[in-house]
Amino acid sequence: MGSLRGFLILIGFFLVGEMARLGLGLPFSGGVLGMLGLVLWLMVRGQVSEGLGSASRSIISVLVLLIMPGVVGIFFNAQAFSGYWLAIISALVVGTVLSVISTLLLMNWLSTADSENSGQ
Amino acid sequence: MNGTSEVFSAFAGVAGSPMLSVGLSLAAFLIGHAVCVVLGKPVWLPAILVSAVFLSLAIVALPINYSVYREGANWLMALLGPATVALGVPLFQQMHHIRQMSWPILVVLPVGAMLAVVYTLVIAWALGATPQVLASLAPKSVTAPIAIGITEELGGSVSLMMGALLLTGVIATISVDMLAARLRVSDERIMGFALGLNGHAIGTVRAFEISATAGAFASLGMSLTGLFTALLLPLLFPF
Repeated sequence: MGSLRGFLILIGFFLVGEMARLGLGLPFSGGVLGMLGLVLWLMVRGQVSEGLGSASRSIISVLVLLIMPGVVGIFFNAQAFSGYWLAIISALVVGTVLSVISTLLLMNWLSTADSENSGQ
Repeated sequence: MNGTSEVFSAFAGVAGSPMLSVGLSLAAFLIGHAVCVVLGKPVWLPAILVSAVFLSLAIVALPINYSVYREGANWLMALLGPATVALGVPLFQQMHHIRQMSWPILVVLPVGAMLAVVYTLVIAWALGATPQVLASLAPKSVTAPIAIGITEELGGSVSLMMGALLLTGVIATISVDMLAARLRVSDERIMGFALGLNGHAIGTVRAFEISATAGAFASLGMSLTGLFTALLLPLLFPF
């Protein structure tokens, strides 16, 4: 029962987020706005109930299942982009490797600098 | 008795129901997971890739087509909304760690999220990609529910974007696993943040395998990147 109560909380925040998106014309998805709402609500409450904790763990563990129907779409619509595959794949592979390297190096450098400063 | 055609017509009856799509997705998910466990969870072969291949083969083999499958699976994809909300829980639970690194995070988020888009778009543009292809690749590091909205707004193809998302998630996960040690990054918070920022849900799943802290930083990176990119892309994309 606890997990179901937790799941209801998640749905509630999603619906509030979706209403905020539609009502205010915000460029964020209802899920993101709901997530921000949930974080703010948890900060006010100061703790996560057991039901909410187990509901969120369960649904996070199946995130991959939830995006799969969209992912397989590419196998069925691939012919629409024939001729661009070299551009698409090189851009994604090279672009992603470069941005991973940039993120790791920049953050590592900043956090080292940051901890040295605060250590003094 | 014509057994085969009776089986086929009975199948045509279930084909329209969401449960066939949900059942196929679930079976593919479990098979992908099982195959990866047997192979010892190799970094270069994430479960989602195995699952997606199995699922595609099943859709091709069965007398249904992708659009019928996809319609039934909307029921499953509707859960992406509450699942996105759920990411707030580990984020809140690890908030005390996040405050320790607020300065690096505040700098890396806008720079990293922007570079993730810019590197890919510049390369694709230089290799002659059309505006529709560019619009589909732009949200490649953004978590699926947010990325769908961005792609629609920019006029891209949701299927191509989903494929781009999958490849990006896989490449980002492999890159972090292979490069972190070589770049002398040992802090699992940094690895987590890089996984979430670049590799969205796929990177975040990997980060939760590293540790709960890496997972929290990944969901932070993923959600902040989603927000930032959703705000920025519609404003910048015309250029």
